[in-house]
Amino acid sequence: MSAPRSRRRFNDQTASGLLLAGPAMLGLLLFILAPFLIALALAFTNLRLGSPLPLEFVGLKQFQRIFADPDFLQALSNNLLCALTVVPLQTALALGLALLLNRGLRGTVVFRTLFFMPVVFPMSLVAVVWVLIYAPGPDGMMNGFLDLVTLGAWEPRDFLRDPMLAMPALMLLSIWQGAGFQMVILLAGLQQIPHELYEAAALDGAGRWSQFRHVTLPQLRNPLVFVVLVTSILAFRLFDQVQIMTRGGPNGATTTVMYEAVQAVFTRQQVARASAMTVVFFLLVLAVTWLQRRLARQEREIG
Amino acid sequence: MIARNARNLRIGDRLAPLAAVFLVLTACDNDNSDTTGSILEVWAHAGQESERSVLIDQVAQFNAREADVEVRLTLIPEGSYNAQVQAAAVAGGLPDLLELDGPFLYAYVWQGRLQPLDRLLPEGLRADLLPSIIEQGRYHDRLWAFGTFDSGLGLYADRVQLEQADIRIPDLNTPWDAAEFEDILERLATRDADGQVLDLKLNYAGEWYTYGFSPLIQSAGGGLIDRSDVARAEGVLDGPSSIGAMRRIQSWILRGRVDPNIDDAAFATRRVALALGGHWNYPRYSGRLGEDLLLLPLPDLGHGPKTGQGSWCWAVTADSTQPDGAARFLAFLLEPDQILAMTAANGAVPATRRAIARSPLYRPGGPLDLFVEQLDGGYAVPRPPTPAYPVITAEFQKAFDRIRSGGEVQAALQRAARVIDLEIEDNQGYPLVGRAREETIR
Repeated sequence: MSAPRSRRRFNDQTASGLLLAGPAMLGLLLFILAPFLIALALAFTNLRLGSPLPLEFVGLKQFQRIFADPDFLQALSNNLLCALTVVPLQTALALGLALLLNRGLRGTVVFRTLFFMPVVFPMSLVAVVWVLIYAPGPDGMMNGFLDLVTLGAWEPRDFLRDPMLAMPALMLLSIWQGAGFQMVILLAGLQQIPHELYEAAALDGAGRWSQFRHVTLPQLRNPLVFVVLVTSILAFRLFDQVQIMTRGGPNGATTTVMYEAVQAVFTRQQVARASAMTVVFFLLVLAVTWLQRRLARQEREIG
Repeated sequence: MIARNARNLRIGDRLAPLAAVFLVLTACDNDNSDTTGSILEVWAHAGQESERSVLIDQVAQFNAREADVEVRLTLIPEGSYNAQVQAAAVAGGLPDLLELDGPFLYAYVWQGRLQPLDRLLPEGLRADLLPSIIEQGRYHDRLWAFGTFDSGLGLYADRVQLEQADIRIPDLNTPWDAAEFEDILERLATRDADGQVLDLKLNYAGEWYTYGFSPLIQSAGGGLIDRSDVARAEGVLDGPSSIGAMRRIQSWILRGRVDPNIDDAAFATRRVALALGGHWNYPRYSGRLGEDLLLLPLPDLGHGPKTGQGSWCWAVTADSTQPDGAARFLAFLLEPDQILAMTAANGAVPATRRAIARSPLYRPGGPLDLFVEQLDGGYAVPRPPTPAYPVITAEFQKAFDRIRSGGEVQAALQRAARVIDLEIEDNQGYPLVGRAREETIR
């Protein structure tokens, strides 16, 4: 067993394989692994940017501190809430849009462009525009729209200053901004599905819904797994919208781990504390990714 | 073509700090080579367009006048100025002369990045400077920085609306007290369509919270930290006086007396009768209200009216080999003509009495005379002079944000006080060590 495997691992293509993988591996090493290891080492110190006091090894103190910090815990729970809400909603929306566009109606190209456009805009620009959309008072676009659809029953709210509405407001904008990207991937996946499968299903008497359940979804498995994975990671990385639109407020309702880490290092010079946060964050994202991959694999075995 | 230029400009902006570092590196290389005129590296924040062009013009004038010193100016974007300069300090790449935002000064001193200016300040000039300028620049009994202008904070009022509601016009000697002020808010509210009569610039956020509202806390007898030898926030920031002041401010907001000022025009469009604001608001307000514009002191919440102070200031770095060249440039910037040119561009309060006497806005009897009176008369409280300031202001901002959205005042202030004290403890109370100690006794 070991002999064929080792033969498979090292053969005359190994050298060129390594050579080709080299640049990417070097990039990963330099920009992912090395910073992570440095952050890990710094998290066990008391390093502050520019401090004249001697650097000390403080053990797990930074980790104890951040896990006793209500702001950080709230940031973690906000991140989880965001991922749990945005991932299913955004994926479902993207799938819906992709299915619509895949029907081959007229104007598909126009709509595809329109849906994809928000993805091309930088998040900072999108955030500034949405600050105007969420403007409080009856003149704000969102307030005006809700007033219209509820036939005047809607009381104008200050979305970004309302502890209950601020996070949903950010999530809505994130979904709007990100759905186009996933739609394109799912659309590509849909177009890969052989038409014969639908014909066969129709011959077997399957209706629209059955076709979707038993042909479309299984065939889309790989794009869907990819989309869910990427969306989760992006949901955890929530930062730009928070920095520009709410600065973590009101009352910590929209703070995220990334925002807390950036605040720690850039406004308070607490390099060690921010390092501890990023280490926790990295491990969390790693765990989520691993879990999703595991679940996806199991699904395949059952199917 | 225009788009292309705009794009180039943006890239230029981004590269500016890199270019600055590169310039410093090359400047270090050139140190050994003999040049007749020595180069004085100066970093400043790229403020408003008008401010920027005055500084560039001042540098050109100085260079034309001086034969043996040449100022080389690098402008750094304001948004991330402190973060960039801190990073350059860690990398050991600071220039000779550095512009700093007032309350961030003390961290640079403690880190040993600056040298004291006492002996560099020209004779006779010290007495001419406003006391607030000296007070902000002092740390451990030495002067580390001074500005060519200071800031002013006051209450702008609409004369017509006050007269209609039959409200007494206060001055520094007879300010509105807390009860009177709250009564005035209610009286104005009955004549106002939406009941929102006060603009607290809640749209500004950030450093404004600390600058604009800590004077009200001071006026109630509270403060951000205890300013004795051992700086502590617990018992002061979360003490009864500070809690009382913040409860008042919160009640103004929650009772609906404060305009959210989302469009930044609440006062300019006369939607409100009163506006807390700084010297920078004056040009727009006077343009809109003309003769109806009043500038009043903040209300007295028990311990006299207080106000804010502090702005950008200049400091000479510890490693600078040309403190005398830097001193000459600073003396030039403090000449009345130069101060007047700069304050005409940014609207701030001139730093010297000679310049004030010649300023149409700030001379005695001028429309902004009150700002000078406040700075000169001990009404202005500097923000806490400690290296912990970045943490103090960040935590206060967070607490203020909680309080303005209806959060419990005492809990919010206690939380902030604990974090601030932990930071001070972690830094062992900021003992003067190493380079900072050497510089202090120099």
